[in-house]
Amino acid sequence: MKKNKRLSKKTRTYILMALPALVLFAVFNTVPLITGFVYSFTNSRGYGSFDFVGFRNFIDLFQDSRVGNSYLFTFKYAIVGTILVNVISLLLAVGLNSKIKFKNTLRGIYFIPNILGGLIVGYIFSFIFTYIIPTLGTTLHIGFLENSILASESAAWIGVLIVGVWQAVAMNTIIYISGLQAIPADVYEASAIDGAGKWYTFRKITLPLLVPFITINFILSTKNMLMVFDQIMSLTKGGPAQSTESISYLIYRNGMDGGQFGFQCANAVMFFIVIVVISVVQMKITSKKEEQL
Amino acid sequence: MFKRKFAVLALIAALITTSFAVAGCSSQGGENGKTVITMLQYKPEAVAAFEEIEERFNATHDDIELRIESPNEAMTVLKTRLIKEDYPDIVGIGGDINYSNFLDADLFMDISDFEGINDIKPVYMEIEKSLEFIPEDGVYTLPYVANCAGILYNKDMFEENGWEIPTTWSEFTALCEEIQASGMTPLYFGFKDTWTCLSPWNSLAVSLSPADTCAQVNMGNTTFTEEYWDVAEKMKELLNYCEPNPYAYSYNDACTAFARGEVAMYPIGSYAVPQILSVNPDMNIDSFTFPANDNEEDNILTSGVDLQFSIMKECKNKEAAYEVLEFLFEDENIQIYLDNQNAIPCKEGDFTLPSMLDGMKSYIEEGRVSDFHDHHYPSEMSVDAMVQTYLLDTSDNATETFLTKFDTEWVRYNRDLIEKVKKYQEGLQ
Amino acid sequence: MTKTADKKVRRLKAKTPGKSNILLTVILILGCITVLFPLYMAIIIALKSPSEMTNDIAGALSLPSSFSLDNFAEAMRVTDFWHSLANSLIITGVTIVLSLVIHSMAGYAIGKCMMRHKGFKLVYFYIVSGMFVPFAILMMPLVKETAIMGIDNMFGVIILYVVFYMPMNVMLYTGYLKNIPLAIEEAAEVDGSSTWRTYWTIIFPMMKPMHATVAVLTALGTWNDVMTPLVIMSGSETTTLPLAQLNFQTQFGTNYNLAFASYILALIPILIFYIICQKKIIGGIANGAVKG
Repeated sequence: MKKNKRLSKKTRTYILMALPALVLFAVFNTVPLITGFVYSFTNSRGYGSFDFVGFRNFIDLFQDSRVGNSYLFTFKYAIVGTILVNVISLLLAVGLNSKIKFKNTLRGIYFIPNILGGLIVGYIFSFIFTYIIPTLGTTLHIGFLENSILASESAAWIGVLIVGVWQAVAMNTIIYISGLQAIPADVYEASAIDGAGKWYTFRKITLPLLVPFITINFILSTKNMLMVFDQIMSLTKGGPAQSTESISYLIYRNGMDGGQFGFQCANAVMFFIVIVVISVVQMKITSKKEEQL
Repeated sequence: MFKRKFAVLALIAALITTSFAVAGCSSQGGENGKTVITMLQYKPEAVAAFEEIEERFNATHDDIELRIESPNEAMTVLKTRLIKEDYPDIVGIGGDINYSNFLDADLFMDISDFEGINDIKPVYMEIEKSLEFIPEDGVYTLPYVANCAGILYNKDMFEENGWEIPTTWSEFTALCEEIQASGMTPLYFGFKDTWTCLSPWNSLAVSLSPADTCAQVNMGNTTFTEEYWDVAEKMKELLNYCEPNPYAYSYNDACTAFARGEVAMYPIGSYAVPQILSVNPDMNIDSFTFPANDNEEDNILTSGVDLQFSIMKECKNKEAAYEVLEFLFEDENIQIYLDNQNAIPCKEGDFTLPSMLDGMKSYIEEGRVSDFHDHHYPSEMSVDAMVQTYLLDTSDNATETFLTKFDTEWVRYNRDLIEKVKKYQEGLQ
Repeated sequence: MTKTADKKVRRLKAKTPGKSNILLTVILILGCITVLFPLYMAIIIALKSPSEMTNDIAGALSLPSSFSLDNFAEAMRVTDFWHSLANSLIITGVTIVLSLVIHSMAGYAIGKCMMRHKGFKLVYFYIVSGMFVPFAILMMPLVKETAIMGIDNMFGVIILYVVFYMPMNVMLYTGYLKNIPLAIEEAAEVDGSSTWRTYWTIIFPMMKPMHATVAVLTALGTWNDVMTPLVIMSGSETTTLPLAQLNFQTQFGTNYNLAFASYILALIPILIFYIICQKKIIGGIANGAVKG
């Protein structure tokens, strides 16, 4: 009896601890989300008067080839991007976390891509893709490099991806580094006493202990890659021939700048549902892996 | 340890108070019983001109205080302020689809009793009228200045080579071939920024199809396939004379290339001149009307309203707002703006025009102008991207594919509007 | 890709601890070129005048004809630098402090109870799913909501940031707690310490490395953000650095030289902040940490 009461008091404290976050989140995320959801049944421009149009926006969504293409682009981009970002940032984190010279300087330098503004990134990489790489391609006679990658309908997404990965690696590296730091040294010492090889230690000890961070990083980078927007704004503006229009780009451009607020709310709701379904599946798989290890 | 916790809490409290205090600085309210008129204008590049105008107004008026805001990303700011119902008294915006939408949302005041209307060039009042989705009774905006588009050319280069200004399509293509034969590039596009695709497109459309094409399509009287066929074909022909792979280069690249004398002509609007001159301040730029027809008399200059003023319906002090408008339209104040921004006045009168518009002057004076067609395109339809897609399409029936898509997409994006137009027409009968 | 990756890892692990790994240092320094080359371009553009801008490679990579910091001075004047910087610092600073307190508490409570109570698990997924709500759909409703509540100012922007980064940060804290041994807090509880007190005296300080990580990631997101302050604070005269930097871009012209100078200036505070936090991430679990 006494014990139960103490437990429930403890639980109450925990509820109290989570409450500020929960209230803020409900007021400033869920309430506007529901408002947006209501708008998805209207032809609102975002301001002024509007009419309810029933499910028209949702029906349109499935018939709009532009929306369809933006889904294809976004998922292609996100899948390749997530894998690349995680492989590179894990390697980088391990590298930056081991015994090297100029450690702090190197860490600082690898952090920079993430804080360069969109205007700088757009200008510099457009210049590299438009002038420097084609010149290299021409002098070295590498056919596929002779034309700007951003001007090619089939390859422009790779250009956007390179920049996207370049910028994203910094953030995931930070998380991996903090994950590596959280592994107690005695675990390594124990394995060293056992005479285990370094690769064996990495695979059998470091990696399993990193799994929570790998999960987090996968979710975060999937999220960032699916929401790709900045790189498109600064590099291609959706071109050439609308081949790099991402979902976020469409939602923002047509919902805010254009007069399609209602329709793009419907698009956003769809997108949200699709991602929630995917991430539930992803979490199920990774949490099973976590248990296995 | 508890002390530490309190220290953290105190720190947070202090920071929050600071942020409140800083945020609280921007309080509003008229001083000395003056009527405050707030104006939001959307051209941050013209902030210097408006600061001067604001100063002059406040120095000469004891009872009204004019506050002009020139925010960056002004259209986003304006839209969010509409949502907040925090209306400025006067807005200065462009004569494009945003104005049509705002008007349709019933945001503006009827100002047909404003005297200054009679001084405005009729052709620009007509352009404003054509921006109304369905004809409204009354006047809701006053066009202030216009810009125009056609072809900018490197004057020194033309003089050195003895090239003549072309006035017809065949003269134009002949000139391009001559320039090419001498080993130079005639045109530069910079189609990486999709919006630049619309610059030559507008010039061709204005000359080759009626000014009210979009309205006629909405009424069901014609199709784009019919009206834009020539426009699309000639647009594609232009690709023979431009830089290789124009989709690789941006607007900024094009401005730089033109400024550096790498190319003879640049089909863009007068708005690009400041950017070009920033790279090469000594450049000798002039312009001419896009020679889209084989008969010079059929050519029309693309010119639209770049800045216009409307009074918001919510404005509490109509008289004071009128006084501000009167002041803005005084000749010397218009000239302040013109000198600062290379623009064309919409008011009748004797103004000094910027020299790079010399070649277009006669068209402007005769009123042989017509509005940019893209001012009627819904921005979410992304016609610029569609044109870029079409130019990249090398198949034989590209024109047909493109225009068919144009027609079907148009109907979809303008569904509600077309319905409105239909209702209006039925009401008339 | 993975195969070469494996090899690299093996090589780096094969070195004896205690000595710096020279080969790895060299590889990492070479990798820096991908960052330093674009940075070099940005810096020389920031030092040039608009009339020195060209489209040819040699011209673009060449040093400016004369070295002067005029662009930096001009950029500071145009952006009202110290004033905008102060606003940016307040917004980012308060956001970080609030995030550390609110998010870590929530993360701890959720992490502790998730396995035992379905409700907490639900709360976890509810908050984390917020990560996938596109900002564009929230934007217009939030503009209206904050205006009605009278917080369409810096305070509102801060609160929104606290909400926007909540999903990521709660996830990070919850994940990190999995690696903290239970024994410590159980011992504290046996001593009669309340849950609340245990949290503040033992757990909160123990999470220092994660606090540093969260602080860096939150700062990263808020420091360069234009959209939230633009739409929420529209109509007020408060500017942040990114807002002021919009001055360099108009529809038909961009002054890249001044803009780049300004961006490089804005980069310095956050870089310093990162380097400070890096030390915390490393020094955090000092006792049990890998000797790096």
